Amino acid sequence: MNKFFSYQWYRAVGVVGCAAVVIAGCASVPPPTEQMAVSKSAIANAVSAGGSEYASVEMRMAQDKMERANRAMDKEDYENARWLAEEAQADARLAEKKAHSAKAQKAASVMQDDIRVLREEINRKSK
Amino acid sequence: MKNHRFVAMTLIAAAVLAGCSSMPANNSVLDQARNDYSNAQANPQVTSLAASELKQASDSLDKANHAWSKDGNSPLVDHLAYVAKQQVAIAQATASQKAAELAVANASAERDRVRLDARTREADSAQRSAEYSQRQSEASQRSAEASQRQSEASQRSAQASQLQSEASQRSAEASQRQAVTERQAANDAQLNAQASRQQTQDAESRARQLEAQLKEMEAKKTDRGMVITLGDVLFDTNQAKLKSGGMHNVQKLADFFKQYPQRKVLIEGFTDSTGSNSRNQELSDQRASSVRTALLDMGISPERVKSRGYGESYPVAGNDTAAGRQLNRRVEIIVSDDSGNITPR
Repeated sequence: MNKFFSYQWYRAVGVVGCAAVVIAGCASVPPPTEQMAVSKSAIANAVSAGGSEYASVEMRMAQDKMERANRAMDKEDYENARWLAEEAQADARLAEKKAHSAKAQKAASVMQDDIRVLREEINRKSK
Repeated sequence: MKNHRFVAMTLIAAAVLAGCSSMPANNSVLDQARNDYSNAQANPQVTSLAASELKQASDSLDKANHAWSKDGNSPLVDHLAYVAKQQVAIAQATASQKAAELAVANASAERDRVRLDARTREADSAQRSAEYSQRQSEASQRSAEASQRQSEASQRSAQASQLQSEASQRSAEASQRQAVTERQAANDAQLNAQASRQQTQDAESRARQLEAQLKEMEAKKTDRGMVITLGDVLFDTNQAKLKSGGMHNVQKLADFFKQYPQRKVLIEGFTDSTGSNSRNQELSDQRASSVRTALLDMGISPERVKSRGYGESYPVAGNDTAAGRQLNRRVEIIVSDDSGNITPR
């Protein structure tokens, strides 16, 4: 019984897996429309966060990959399009985070400067 | 047998996948992702500040690892590994962002603290300044009080000065009164002077009066002074006694001499050449003496009146005619100056 079940299961998996692989391989994968939209949005967010300025490498990578994803979509190479889109999203998010981080660090540095100046002023005043 | 079939099917799938994908297989991406992840996990800042991002990265890395352990090197593994690696980077960036934001928040708090410090110091300084101002103000007040005292002293001094001034005024008034007195004295002196002048004028007028009176008595101004000549008509011929008309003339003389008590008088008698010299001398003496006696009778002091006869000497006209002899028969009365001197004949 157990042996039989195991055999049946493998067989099923094998058939389904084979079918899935065939479908995927032969462009029967559904288009990653949602992922494309999410990635585009991520890139837009990154741009508005100042990614081009603070993380130009990541930003360029994201945009490049998004372009390639679009081309893959055009070619109905949906799997590749999904992967490229996912990577573009990751790059865009990194660019956005780096921009935020850089801004925050800048702000912190400005703040430290402010405090230094303030302290100096106080010391000068109290003298 | 079953295992062989599985492997065969996997191989087929891999072959299909490989055929459909253009991605090159690269193991190093997964290695880098694993390395990055372990670094991130070792960083307490990332584990504490970007826990959810690190979890995502971990999940992605698990998938990649799973894919790798399942299929070995494959584009899917590369893809998943790449995503995992980027997510590790995202977690790190997130951690650094939050750290920076925390730093900003801390700095903000610190800045507030510094500002508070500054304000406290300013307030202290202001208080010190206020205290200083107060001390200064007190000093000013003391100074003002001193000034007031000084002013009061000045006032007292001024009062003293006023008193002095009043005294001076009184003195001045006294001086003024004295001046008035002196002016009055001066006026008096002037009046006196005027009186003196008046007196002088009076004297002059008296002198003029005297001259007038003497003139009335037909007095003549001569080298010896005023001379009044009484003609012989006042005497009877060869008699020494004054007639009443002569008495009238003598009365005038007496009045005159009473009026001018400092004047003295010399009475000289003369005759014409008729008769003897001795008789003429006697008669001239008697006639002069008669006039003198009449004056004395009228209250003139005897020492003021002298008389002398000259007989027929000192004729004033010729004795050859009756008119000349009448002129020579005369009594001359010589009036002295104010000091009583008479130039002798």
